[in-house]
Amino acid sequence: MAEAGKQKTANSPARVAITAAGVVSPLGFGLAETLESLRSARDCVTPIMRFSVAQCRCKTAGQVADARLLANRVESLHSARLHRASHMMIQALQEVVTQQPEFEPELMVIGTTSGGMSYGERYYRLLQRAGDLRHAPTWIANYSAQKPIVDAQTAFGISAPCKVIANACASGTNAIGHAFECVRSGRYQRMLAGGYDALAEMVFIGFDSLQASTPEKCRPFDRHRSGMVLGEGAAVLVLENLESAQERGASILAEITGYGISTDNFHITQPEPSGIGARQAMERALQSARISATGVDYINAHGTATVFNDAAEGRAISALFNGVPVSSTKSMMGHSLGAAGAIEAVVCLLALQHQFLPANINFTIPDEDLDLNIVANEARAAVVSTAVSNSFGFGGTNASIIMRRFEG
Amino acid sequence: MSLAIVGMGWVTPLGSGLDSVWERLLQGEEASATTVSEEFTDRVYKVFRVAESALKGISHPRLRRASAISRFAAAAGLHALESAGLRLDAKSAERVALIFAISNGGVIYTKRFYREIVNTGAQAASPLLFPETVFNAPASHVAAILGLTGASYTLVGDGAIGLTAIKMAKDLMDNEALDYCLVVGTEEIDWILCDAYRRWRLLRQAPPIEPYGNQNHGMVLSEGAGAVLVARNGLFSIESARPGGYFATQSQAGEALERIVRDLAKVEIDVVISSANGTFIDRAESRVLHELTPNAVVYTAKPALGESVGAAGLWQVIIAAQALSSAEVPPVLHADSTVPLRLARSRTPIPSARHAIVLSCGLNQEAAGLRLAIR
Repeated sequence: MAEAGKQKTANSPARVAITAAGVVSPLGFGLAETLESLRSARDCVTPIMRFSVAQCRCKTAGQVADARLLANRVESLHSARLHRASHMMIQALQEVVTQQPEFEPELMVIGTTSGGMSYGERYYRLLQRAGDLRHAPTWIANYSAQKPIVDAQTAFGISAPCKVIANACASGTNAIGHAFECVRSGRYQRMLAGGYDALAEMVFIGFDSLQASTPEKCRPFDRHRSGMVLGEGAAVLVLENLESAQERGASILAEITGYGISTDNFHITQPEPSGIGARQAMERALQSARISATGVDYINAHGTATVFNDAAEGRAISALFNGVPVSSTKSMMGHSLGAAGAIEAVVCLLALQHQFLPANINFTIPDEDLDLNIVANEARAAVVSTAVSNSFGFGGTNASIIMRRFEG
Repeated sequence: MSLAIVGMGWVTPLGSGLDSVWERLLQGEEASATTVSEEFTDRVYKVFRVAESALKGISHPRLRRASAISRFAAAAGLHALESAGLRLDAKSAERVALIFAISNGGVIYTKRFYREIVNTGAQAASPLLFPETVFNAPASHVAAILGLTGASYTLVGDGAIGLTAIKMAKDLMDNEALDYCLVVGTEEIDWILCDAYRRWRLLRQAPPIEPYGNQNHGMVLSEGAGAVLVARNGLFSIESARPGGYFATQSQAGEALERIVRDLAKVEIDVVISSANGTFIDRAESRVLHELTPNAVVYTAKPALGESVGAAGLWQVIIAAQALSSAEVPPVLHADSTVPLRLARSRTPIPSARHAIVLSCGLNQEAAGLRLAIR
């Protein structure tokens, strides 16, 4: 560990820089395509073809195109056997490695909820029907939550310990937040943080059974919102001690300045209605960043578009912030669960770098009960110096991070 | 940052009292195997299950519909707090972080949920079961039962995940806003897990688990939970926690373990609590321990308690603490007589023992270790 980091443990915490990022999502492959989709407020939600949704209310999701995923695959591995989630992780990491060919993290922290779930589904279906299970060992080996991370490490010769966080829909933000705290404490100098999740039938039907997903368009914070649509993807960010990153001449894309986590124990699937859990996470993130709510220029909301989640989050935002622009980019790409916080951190990064507010599409009528400044339907240019990204999940787990434009 | 264990609790196939399970291990007892079956096949497996009596007195509205994994975790967590004499109120609960270590998660409800979909279609999917299939459901229940409102993390991995969770506690305790971390490892058994591990050639269909043998006959699955409460000062100091990372193939397990043990064995090691379970792990551990800690007494509890994956690392840590405090090591059951290690073949005194290594090599290519010292 470098001396610069060690010296920071006492009183002044280390500043934490983002020095590289990679992303694969329904918005596109890589930062450039993602930026283009965000600027044009593209609706990337499409009909599900991967499994039957005939008996589901919801029939759409934000999906990563298989053809491109496989066309870009890294051939050095047993790539035909790998799960789609592995290919997503590999391609997100490939973008990072392209930016930093010598990158070697001390630790990785990755969020997910489902691992290689669809292989587990296939195994169970064939078991039950006494089908051909010759490939079962491969499915089992590729089912575990850590396998896509092992595959991504193997693809690029990285060998680092990894913490796989499965805090439901907050996993990606928790992963980045925890990595931020590790670097900030001076214990680590270079970390890789992010999240991944691939669509799976069981999870899709699960949300449908809760009537949390919608047969209509995903309309976060709209008066007529009727639920979420699922998504998928992967995103990773390199977090480094700012001082040592500058010493080695790295490009500083932005800073992470705060992280807040809270647990509300109201219900396993529903937030506490007043939004206290969400509010505590945001308050703790502001305290961690040592700024007040007036210092925030943009909030990338969790914004699933379910009636209860948006109401609780909306109340928490309006109680803390006065008219700060808010959008849920899940309206464009769906909710990618364990990857969501990581992909949305990349969205915030692009907003900070390119000075615009990403849109909350499909927004028609404001909810009169929520006092929010929604970035409705179109992205717009703005001065964005500080952004908050929220993620809230099942089990009452709430996480917020604060990112800041790097100004030297 | 110093870190110490101040409370412990476990739920195992040999019961749930901290000292009573320890006494049974010292006496060389082995859990009784029971049979698990599946409705669509005649194939059965033997496993080590937790008896209902081990959960006596554990009740809470959040556990009414919860799966076994959550009940095991709640019982172990409550026992750990109780053994530390810690009573939480709203203010102190904010200063406690919760870290869960899980491998397969709520597999019983996950299978039941998906079975209804496969048999009847999506319209039969149960909205009550689905939330219990999520990895962090057990952590959510335990947080609600204890009234914890601060940081809660569920970590997923293989048999090494318990030690990774303790390493995370070490990282979190850098934050002075925390006084304690409650680290819980938990797992439940279902037939489908046995079948999956069998197809992976890691499972033996019935006991015994024969550790360190020349042939890898495989392991027998078990279930339960282990919990440790960590603070900055206490009797059992966690001197070093070493996540070893992933190894790409089973044959590389030894290299990963060697790096870990080299780092941990910089002081004289009195006892090693190994993760040998009758699989490829044993040979890798055996070689490394023979070379790097030849004088340490080596013990594995897996022949007695089974392979509980997510709970296993926490059980090992508790065993290490119990061995250091009682200055005794239980006998290793069913071990090969020719293995070149200083195995505890009977109840073995370790007078003046101060340092223990806990070594975890997982079946899904993950390795970790930690060094524990008694003050």
